Amino acid sequence: MSTLLKVENVTIQFGGLVALNDVSFSIEKGSVLAVIGPNGAGKSTLFNVVTGVYKPTSGRVTFDGTEITGRPSYEVVERGIARTFQSSRLFSDLSVLDNVIIGMHTRTRTGVLTALFRPGVARREMDECVRKAESLLKLGSGDLFEQRYRPAGTLAQADRRRLEIARALASQPKLLLLDEPSVGMDETETDALVSDIIRLRKENPDLSVILIEHDMRVVDAFPQHVMCIDYGSRIAEGDYATVRADPRVQEAYLGKAAVHA
Amino acid sequence: MAELLVQQLVNWITLGCIYALLAIGFSLIFGVLNVIHFSHGDVAMTAPFIALALVQGSMAVVGVTGPAWLLLAVVVAVLAVGVIGIALDKIVIRRFRDAPAMMALVATVALGIVIRELIRHLYPQGSNPHAFPRLVSGMAFEVAGVSVSWFALLVVAITAILVTLLFVFLRMTALGLRIRAASEDRVVARMMGIRDSRVFRATFFIASAIGAIAGLLFASYAGVTRFDFGVMAGLLGFSAAVIGGLGSMPGAILGGLIIAGIEVLAQTFVPDGASYRLVFVFLLVIAVLIFRPAGLLGRTVMEKV
Amino acid sequence: MRQDIASSASPGKSAAVAFTVASQLVGAVFLYLILKADGGLQIVGLLALLGLGFFILEKQPWIAEQAMASFARVPLVSMITAGIIVVGFPFIVGSNTYILHLLIVAQLYAVLALALNFQLGSANIPNFATGASYGIGAYVSALLAINFGLSFWLTLPVAALAATLFGFIIGIPSMRTRDTYLALVTIAFGVVVQQLLNNFEWTGGPNGLVGIPAPSLFGHSFADPLVVFGWRLPSQANFYYLSAALVVVAIITAHRLHSSRIGLAWNALRADEIAAKAQGINVAWYKVLAFAVDAFLAAFAGTIYAFYVSYISPDNFTFLVSVTIMTMVIVGGMDNIFGVIVGAFLLTILPEKLRAFSDYRLLFFGVVIIGFLMIRPQGLFPQRMRRYGGE
Repeated sequence: MSTLLKVENVTIQFGGLVALNDVSFSIEKGSVLAVIGPNGAGKSTLFNVVTGVYKPTSGRVTFDGTEITGRPSYEVVERGIARTFQSSRLFSDLSVLDNVIIGMHTRTRTGVLTALFRPGVARREMDECVRKAESLLKLGSGDLFEQRYRPAGTLAQADRRRLEIARALASQPKLLLLDEPSVGMDETETDALVSDIIRLRKENPDLSVILIEHDMRVVDAFPQHVMCIDYGSRIAEGDYATVRADPRVQEAYLGKAAVHA
Repeated sequence: MAELLVQQLVNWITLGCIYALLAIGFSLIFGVLNVIHFSHGDVAMTAPFIALALVQGSMAVVGVTGPAWLLLAVVVAVLAVGVIGIALDKIVIRRFRDAPAMMALVATVALGIVIRELIRHLYPQGSNPHAFPRLVSGMAFEVAGVSVSWFALLVVAITAILVTLLFVFLRMTALGLRIRAASEDRVVARMMGIRDSRVFRATFFIASAIGAIAGLLFASYAGVTRFDFGVMAGLLGFSAAVIGGLGSMPGAILGGLIIAGIEVLAQTFVPDGASYRLVFVFLLVIAVLIFRPAGLLGRTVMEKV
Repeated sequence: MRQDIASSASPGKSAAVAFTVASQLVGAVFLYLILKADGGLQIVGLLALLGLGFFILEKQPWIAEQAMASFARVPLVSMITAGIIVVGFPFIVGSNTYILHLLIVAQLYAVLALALNFQLGSANIPNFATGASYGIGAYVSALLAINFGLSFWLTLPVAALAATLFGFIIGIPSMRTRDTYLALVTIAFGVVVQQLLNNFEWTGGPNGLVGIPAPSLFGHSFADPLVVFGWRLPSQANFYYLSAALVVVAIITAHRLHSSRIGLAWNALRADEIAAKAQGINVAWYKVLAFAVDAFLAAFAGTIYAFYVSYISPDNFTFLVSVTIMTMVIVGGMDNIFGVIVGAFLLTILPEKLRAFSDYRLLFFGVVIIGFLMIRPQGLFPQRMRRYGGE
């Protein structure tokens, strides 16, 4: 297996605050990495560095053999990294279907001149997008397809998370970054989410997934590769059992006193 | 040459102070409401009309006139404009504080039209320019062969006093602290329940009254007032506030001085500069915003992702 | 896949035809009445009627749904009806040149409002410089025609290119500034352009340019009356049809961009810039693009205006003109092509008709805008969800 994403010694500072401190890790093609850690540990910041929202103060990010450190977000998506946001950022005044179609932006070509002077070409491309978007909506758990003409802002919480994943998949990514996808889901919905991810990997054996999760049920479902971050530093990495047993991880989650008690 | 320079220096400081006073109002209101009160310039320019009306009214009714009456009229005008500010906030502006920025902008532009038209219709012969007296006349002293007028000194003194008072108010009083809290961190302020109507009332009263003083000084500086002076006063004051950094008091003062500086420089050193002065002013505004998108002293807010 | 979309409450074909034709005729009759109206009482009555209409539309949303469904069902019939109404209007108006003049101005404003709608409506980018792009279009074409004798048809693309370049330039700061700050940048550009036009010698200074020659087409001068099958229409009719053609171009442009990936990208960055970037949208480029498209269309309107009135001055392209165009978009309904056109017509014709209230026109205008923004900020016709699968 080959390395898809490689993060080397990434440090990022906001003013005096060190949000990430010398973090390194890599992920293989077709594998899942679960990132855990307390709130404010820097997990989302890691996503933001990888996807080009923030430029790291130092360090390198390499994706699929190309260095992408500090490249703009839109270029990173084009190369094949898609993400969801912790506080689902949908285009709330647009329909569910439009949200997914916008996700295909990097896989479509229509420019102003094509749209104006070759409407047939533009229309065919759009029809194709609609078709793909509808099948993406049918694929996952929930009934997003039935709600495809609703404004995304009116969806229930679980559906919002599902739609974010569908929108991210629309860009045909090689690497999918999911930022706490189970937030706001009940147990049944979380289980459905886990089986969605499992099915997705079965259908696309090359797809890699990085998951930020608080819900240990989800992490437990992908136990092979887990990384724990605290105060911006990587404190443990390995399979779930190892990471869970690591005293520093327990300390980070439970506090020093509890561990030594 | 030295005389010219000193003369222009005096002009620059006088004009810069007036713009700074206008900019403070924009900045204060934006800080608290997150709304651009585009008609602030028009509100400010109602003050000279109110003062004129009072002076003429008193002459017609009581038959007396003189510096004391002028002073009284000016004070009443400033207070009245402060109240007008509160009223406009209550009736119109407050409703746009949570609306998209564009809505508030267009609404207050329209409000400016309404204010100008009201002046034009309500004031006798409102379409014409009206002479406005110098608040103080005569020369105070001479520097390098240039006499500095009492008026210039008055403008500087008033600005200094107002800025100091405002500073003390915002730092030392409970209400001032709440205004600052509201403008510095809106989310926290909302959580703490600071966004009450007293903060709004106080903000609008202070901003409008300071604007009124600027309007009176401006009319007095120009020797004339017109119903549509508010447009340019508003644009220049707004520009000063923005290039200084909206929400920042020192920024507003800096912005006012910069705008006035460019105007005076253009008039002095560029051939036909008087007609092109607005071009220079606004090119500078564009340049500042390209290189410092949040203004010179404004803080760049990083959006949390 | 197609049928499940068309199925919901789709009207029968004949019902759709009847509905389409009837609703357009009602609209045309209303427009005619308001154009003809004279005296305060008639205007007030018609406005009350209009208000009632919108009230009913608001309370009975099925009417609008039905109308949309009908138009979508028989698009050819709706287009032909609209075409007949637009072509036939001057014949009904007859020799009333004032009405024709109002219609020409309203159509030019409709184009300007559609142009601005790409920014303000689709992408929610403030632009107080549409008036300046409009002015650049007018001045470039007028200067070319006066100084180099270029024909109208040649100046049209040149003016559009010049304004587009200007659009790119004012768009560049939009990569770094937003909201209020960006609004000020565009205001500043607008003032700079207007002041330069006012001060340069070769633009005629405050006096502007006079003697812009009338265009001609196939030997027919637009200054001459238009004779069709023995019907004699006043010379304004030439410009009426010309500006109507431009409105059609603007509608097609707006529609094609709106329903393409470009319109979606604009909508995306309007809703959430960071999320838009995360979908691979080059936000900076799309913002600049919106400025360029706006300037391009505005220049067409400017060119026609210059040749129509044959005299232009900086006063035609002030900050207030830009504000008026913005108001049209907001009142009509952001990102709604039909709404924006209605907004442009209403806000062009009403102030003219309010001459009945003589001097209080501008005051009234201001009050209406404020009232509108407070009571119905989403505009007369709010944006609609895109539907796919229909033709």
